[in-house]
Amino acid sequence: MADPALDRPAGIEGSELAGPFAVGEYAARLRQRLRSFARVQVFGELGNLNRGRARVYFELRDERGALPCSMWRDDWEKLGLAPGAIENGAQVVVGGGTDYYVGSSTASPSFTFHVTALRIAGEGDLLAQIEARRRKLAAEGLLEPQKRLHRPVPPRAIGVVTGEGGKARDDVLAGLRRQGWAGRLVWGFAPVQDRRAAPSVARALRELAAVGDVDVIVVARGGGSPVDLMAFSDELLCRTVAHLPVPVVCSIGHHTDRTLLDDVAAESCSTPTHAAQVAVGIDCTRARAGLARAAHRLDAGARRAVLTRARHLAALSRAPAEHIARHRSRLHQIARELRAIGRRRGSEETTRMRRRLLVLERNVARAAGADQAARRRDLESLSLALAAHDPERTLQRGYALVEDEQGGVLTSAAEARAAGRAALRFHDGRVRAKIEE
Amino acid sequence: MSEAPPELTYETANARLEEIIRRLDSGEAGLRETLDLVREGRTLVEFCAGELEAVGQGLEELRLDELVARLEAGAAGGGAPT
Repeated sequence: MADPALDRPAGIEGSELAGPFAVGEYAARLRQRLRSFARVQVFGELGNLNRGRARVYFELRDERGALPCSMWRDDWEKLGLAPGAIENGAQVVVGGGTDYYVGSSTASPSFTFHVTALRIAGEGDLLAQIEARRRKLAAEGLLEPQKRLHRPVPPRAIGVVTGEGGKARDDVLAGLRRQGWAGRLVWGFAPVQDRRAAPSVARALRELAAVGDVDVIVVARGGGSPVDLMAFSDELLCRTVAHLPVPVVCSIGHHTDRTLLDDVAAESCSTPTHAAQVAVGIDCTRARAGLARAAHRLDAGARRAVLTRARHLAALSRAPAEHIARHRSRLHQIARELRAIGRRRGSEETTRMRRRLLVLERNVARAAGADQAARRRDLESLSLALAAHDPERTLQRGYALVEDEQGGVLTSAAEARAAGRAALRFHDGRVRAKIEE
Repeated sequence: MSEAPPELTYETANARLEEIIRRLDSGEAGLRETLDLVREGRTLVEFCAGELEAVGQGLEELRLDELVARLEAGAAGGGAPT
């Protein structure tokens, strides 16, 4: 193994500084020194949380500075935090001390505040401040005015507020190209990187609305930490936007970030490209093609209507003669059929009636011949029976019939006494009689 | 008192145009209505084409600071005695 002391190069000529020391040696001494610093408690807003397999990394920030922190994963788990209980933006108090990872020829060194204890401090963090402002602006009705503004589609002129050298600028141009929009574009460049950005952005917005003659304004900025994006939750900036007479479409940070400007603006988008597309409102290339199709369909509609009408009129003009001829032919046919039916029916009926007559005559003759002798015999028998019961013949034999004065037959002595008077009918006449008893 | 007719915009014109084409395609419109609709539709097509033409001539990029400077120079020049 090589002795570092033998490889040590000569120092910088004329320098009064100690050394040169081998870097590994110095790094080890630095770590030793940092570890000797007093262990303390530090509070701030937690950000850039990254849960690694062995260690959990995050940053603590406030308005004046930041500190990179790390914690053993085991210690983190022992905190027993519920899922979602601690996220970026939480205000926390950590306990621990400074440390230094010396790295190696292949691993990067890093400074860290080694955390051994942590407590969530509750509200009062930056996000809570933003939320408080949001409630305040909402209570004043300032989240609505931008949403009520009319946005011309497609806009003739678009204003853009963004960083001059940022990627957002290219993204906005890409979004405009994607929509086939090539109108008047006014760039309102402003710093968008730190908290001082807010007044510059507000001024750019005011000037664009006043002198830019733009129909809509896009405010675009790429991703960043909550602290970086704090400028877009600035109360004065948000009030400026709320009162702006021109609609603002914004895209601030990544889609998970939510600034106060997102709530105040007319429209909030996830990327600068999308914000540009929303500002244009339509795909102009497709709209041009659609318009050409519409014009063609109008022409076709007009042509079709005229042709349909012309065909209908032509059909009507031919109709009378054709109809009469068609009906005349049909009528002749019907008349022929009727005559034929009449003739056929007449002859058929005569034949049928004759047949019926013959049948009836035969029936009458047959019935008359068979019954005549029997009926004569019955008649003679009835005549004999009647003669046997004829009262005249009884009277001829010497009997008389006693009748009352009205001709009713008296058949008992009692009836005769009651009647008082009677008549006696003989075969040759009637005589009056008086009942004396 | 009569209300002023609503200002024609690309969106309202386009919506009306779609309505007209739907009516024409339905085949329910008579000849006179069809011809009226076609006439109105052609006017709307011209309007929309004009709106699209205005944003299809090529991107014109301006800088706000230059616009402001120009205005300020104009105001200063206009205000100076000749």
